[in-house]
Amino acid sequence: MKLVLYLHLHQPWRLARFRYMDLGSGRPYVDRERNLAIFRGIAERCYRPALDRLIAATEQHPGFRFSLSLTGTFVEQAEAAAPDVLDRIGRLVRSGHVALVGETYYHSLAFLLPPPELTEEVARHAQMLEDRFGRTAKVLRMTELAFSDDLARFAESGKYSAMLAEGWEGMLGGQSPNHVYCAASAPTVRLLLRNYRLSDDVGFRFSSKTWNEYPLLAEKYVRWLSSSPGDLIGLFLDFETFGEHHHADTGILDFLSALPAAAARERRLEWATVEDALDLDPVGTVSAPVTVSWADEKRDLGAWLGNDLQRSAFEAAKKLGTLVRPAGDPGLLEEWRRMLTSDHFYYMYVSGHGADADVHRYFSSYGSPYDAYANYMNALTDLRRRTLAVLDRAEPETPDPS
Amino acid sequence: MTDRESPSLTPAKRPAGTAATLGGSDGDRSEKPGTPAVPGPGPPPKTPPTPPEKPIAPPAARQARKAAELEELSKDLTWSRPPRRTPAAPLDFAATRRMHIVLVGWEFPPHHSGGLGVHSLELCRELTRMGHRVTFLTPFTGPFTEVPGVEFRYPTGPEPGEPAASYPDTYFAGELARGSSAEAIQGWDAWVESRGGLADASVVHIHDWFGTVGGIALARRLGVPSVLTIHSTEYDRSLGHPGEAIRWREEYGVRNADITIAVSQHLARQLIDRYGALPARVRVIYNAVRPTPRLEGVEAAHRIVLCLGRLTAVKGIDTFLRAAARVAPAFPDALFVVAGQGPEYPRLIDLAVHLGIADQVVFLGHVTEPERLVLLASASVFVLPSVVEPFGIAALEAMAAGVPVILSKTSGVAEVATNVFAVDFWDVEEFASRIAELLVYPVLRGTMGEGGRDDALREGWAERTVQTVGVYAELATRARHPR
Repeated sequence: MKLVLYLHLHQPWRLARFRYMDLGSGRPYVDRERNLAIFRGIAERCYRPALDRLIAATEQHPGFRFSLSLTGTFVEQAEAAAPDVLDRIGRLVRSGHVALVGETYYHSLAFLLPPPELTEEVARHAQMLEDRFGRTAKVLRMTELAFSDDLARFAESGKYSAMLAEGWEGMLGGQSPNHVYCAASAPTVRLLLRNYRLSDDVGFRFSSKTWNEYPLLAEKYVRWLSSSPGDLIGLFLDFETFGEHHHADTGILDFLSALPAAAARERRLEWATVEDALDLDPVGTVSAPVTVSWADEKRDLGAWLGNDLQRSAFEAAKKLGTLVRPAGDPGLLEEWRRMLTSDHFYYMYVSGHGADADVHRYFSSYGSPYDAYANYMNALTDLRRRTLAVLDRAEPETPDPS
Repeated sequence: MTDRESPSLTPAKRPAGTAATLGGSDGDRSEKPGTPAVPGPGPPPKTPPTPPEKPIAPPAARQARKAAELEELSKDLTWSRPPRRTPAAPLDFAATRRMHIVLVGWEFPPHHSGGLGVHSLELCRELTRMGHRVTFLTPFTGPFTEVPGVEFRYPTGPEPGEPAASYPDTYFAGELARGSSAEAIQGWDAWVESRGGLADASVVHIHDWFGTVGGIALARRLGVPSVLTIHSTEYDRSLGHPGEAIRWREEYGVRNADITIAVSQHLARQLIDRYGALPARVRVIYNAVRPTPRLEGVEAAHRIVLCLGRLTAVKGIDTFLRAAARVAPAFPDALFVVAGQGPEYPRLIDLAVHLGIADQVVFLGHVTEPERLVLLASASVFVLPSVVEPFGIAALEAMAAGVPVILSKTSGVAEVATNVFAVDFWDVEEFASRIAELLVYPVLRGTMGEGGRDDALREGWAERTVQTVGVYAELATRARHPR
């Protein structure tokens, strides 16, 4: 039984308050200092201590292997706010215990945009991995672990060996997530699936005192892992699980430290990176005509594009793409791509997914979804005006007549 | 052997001297060493216990403890059903089953439709619907919106079998005092205190400062609890320069009423800070609105940004006008409508002219109820820019009509509304931006309008009245079970 631990590192460039009255003022959309301050805080509570423990684990346990992905916006912020975090990641990569996973540079919803946006963003990310770590990723993950038949074909065209996806019953149709599958639409692409029950035991439930398994100790958890049927277990988690979502005083960092040793005592368990896991033979095919993500109870894109605010904001951003590209200004293109980061749309979530609303509030950097929407739209409107100015065209839209 | 058959050996909290049973475990008792087979002085069991097939055998230590407990419990054991354990301060709902509530009020619709008047009317409607009887004492002579089950009494009104009041009614009939206002207020106090025919009253519920002295005196004379609802304080109304006489009457009420109800947390904190109210005697019960149908087919020629309220300094209408001036040039089709009247009117007109937006601002003066509905149906945005707003029922009404609302963070309604834009009352740029954003993004307007409606109608007057009756019940209980 292979344990495929995969941790995702991401920080978005959150927008500054950009009032409607700020249109044309030349104010930056991103509050750089605020973002870096947030990053420093998380680095202190989470990135440094958790990476240190992972480094120690790779040194003490030769068999301990795992995988990481890191977005371009994360790397940009780390470079400016806490470069030692990147040094630690580099050290892990050089140790040979860690595989890196490819994705979009901006943690964006580019897969919903017309080509070649997705290709370019994934290529930019690949270039970043190459430049910084000298690695090429063989496995691809899409923003929010999105997966669909189209995305499998995209991975195939990009010569990726595998994609990561949510091990969701709705997609698996009774098959176990604990095996390697082939994508039905692109059989050269393997699928590694997230075992969401076992992953969420750590990701969501670990510090919940009302959980009947509280407290979760590494020994107990490893027993669960080892008694699960199948070839592999995909433990796919936000890196911030360790020290940020669950603070250090919940014992989460000690849990992380104890995990490799506890697993070593179970003969049946063996750590594997996402690339190691490709040695396993696929047992079947999986198809996802509709995009499946790892968020919320419905595992759809509802968390980003579920309500009118989100859809209208995303449509506006998409439309702006048809102006930004011909404008041919790299600065504008960069700013537009930062606006595609999925987090912006996540903040506009109103309600409707029940208990998930609490999760959304936790991750939001705004007081309300309306604040998020208005702010985003103001910045986007400003960007559109600047783009039109470059194109030497007047604002085509008339103000809303109703 | 299931849990159900095992003896429940821990009813140790049962007060000594009350009847008790040991659930389905009756027969077990005889199995325990040292436990009397038949309880002491109590009457014999009505139904003979059937021993279970297998006795349970608890560990020795527990067995000894259980035996002792049983001994204690068995002193006056009977086999009847035990009374339900009652909490230390039980709510005496019998006391609230059908109450006679004396409301000491002020304005009442149709002629007065400020927050206090609307609150009084809705409270009367819901209380009577719940089966309670209301006597409404007011200084005004009416006419009053008729509510079955509510009796209106006012100083010059018919008082069968009672001497006519020596109360200078002219002061409150609108014509300013022939005598001094202090004299008039004292007359009012005396009139309220001496009202007859209220012997069966359950509670005296006073609204705002005017009735505090008389209302509390009346409650004391009748020997019933007093409740005071504060809708706003003199500090708020005067922007921090309170009239001493009014301030004193407010403080008197807050300190002497058995419970004070504030219409928002913000107001409750003020009562504690400024008037020394005991936190334990303050409750918060918010205002509510009735679902008003949004009129269909109202086609406004302009996009209307509406501000509705009395034109007093605390309402922050000047902020609204300054924000309008920032927005107006970019939105030539927008019309900024100020509805309401008040002392600030001339100054606000001057300001609009001075800001150069006279052509995009309309002052409507007092609007009637039908006019208000038309305004809400045609408004794109509603703004409540108050410097101080203990509640702000007008904003809640706009929300109920589906109009997206921008309100100042300090308003009480901000405590119950999440689907709104909340802005610092001094932040003209932010008000302007929010207005522009709602004008320019239709999806935002629609989503916020819908969400606001849900916010506004989640709890109606029925729920608020139930909460109010809860306060009466609490007091009735306290009166019957003095500590």
